[in-house]
Amino acid sequence: MIAEETLVNELKQKESQAKAFEVLVNTYKERLYWHIRRIVLDHDDTDDVLQNTFIKVYKNIDGFKGDSKLYSWMYRIATNESLTFLKQKSKKVSISNQELKTAMVENLQSDVYFEGDEIQMKLQQALATLPDKQKLVFNMKYFQDMKYEEISEVLETSVGGLKASYHLAVKKIEAYLKSD
Amino acid sequence: MKKNHKNKFKTPEGYFDSFNERLMDKIAMEESNIPKADGFSLPEGYFTTLNDRVSARLDETEPKVIALKSYKKSYYIAASIAVLAVLALAFYWNNASPFSFEDLASAEIDAYFDTTDMKLSSYEIAEVVSIDELELNDVLENKLDHEHILEYLDENISDIEELDLENEYYE
Repeated sequence: MIAEETLVNELKQKESQAKAFEVLVNTYKERLYWHIRRIVLDHDDTDDVLQNTFIKVYKNIDGFKGDSKLYSWMYRIATNESLTFLKQKSKKVSISNQELKTAMVENLQSDVYFEGDEIQMKLQQALATLPDKQKLVFNMKYFQDMKYEEISEVLETSVGGLKASYHLAVKKIEAYLKSD
Repeated sequence: MKKNHKNKFKTPEGYFDSFNERLMDKIAMEESNIPKADGFSLPEGYFTTLNDRVSARLDETEPKVIALKSYKKSYYIAASIAVLAVLALAFYWNNASPFSFEDLASAEIDAYFDTTDMKLSSYEIAEVVSIDELELNDVLENKLDHEHILEYLDENISDIEELDLENEYYE
């Protein structure tokens, strides 16, 4: 795999930009797709947000100073794009963010790209009740198997705070799944 | 990287430091009733066509982007105020009017702002107006008293808990 620093330098230079961007998309598209999908739930919406994320990365690469790792910078853009997308969507249909989240989970029942069984549907209902931060931490740790240190760079929160959020999320989800 | 002197095997830095924590997480996961997969799928071949679609969108002709931090309009306002101030000053020197300079200048400036549509977006207003110094009554035409707020809440809110939007955090 190409070194991150080399890739960033190539992205910043006009002559190598196109090729480097292709490498960047190939390297991160799956990981970012699943990260976004677990926030916006719908495949088509995920596709939109994912493309916007890559376009933002491409256009703002000159502003990337290398203070954090490239992947955490991209994850941060993807997270912000996803949350902004949901805010705009709830504004467009004049409902609250929470109402939108409930509606999104209900839509999963007729979604051809959701093959979850009853318990997986219930998991999504449980996740919809969590505050954004807890939901993000849970998905990144449980399903994407990211380390607390990595999540900490993306969400700019202390590792201690993340551990607390994760354990709180797990407890709430387990309690929700146990309830009828 | 930590070396074992009896053989050539190595472990990643900090591997044993975080071992217990990872083991406990794994055990907790095994005992949990949370499903291991979340049931999402996606169209076949989606990732193979993604690159082309992103490239196509990058190639689209971009509309001219006006920077959010546009100070141009602020310059126009500043210039307008300066012109008004100079005119007011000239007026003051040429007439022995009973108006003071301050009265005239602020009256003129108020009238200018009242009659001219600045076409400023909320972002541009937010750039120059400090939220810390802004009171709710500054933006309302009718003064909002505590009595009015209490009356509204009394009529419209049935459960006081509803007001605490972040209630969940305090569990």
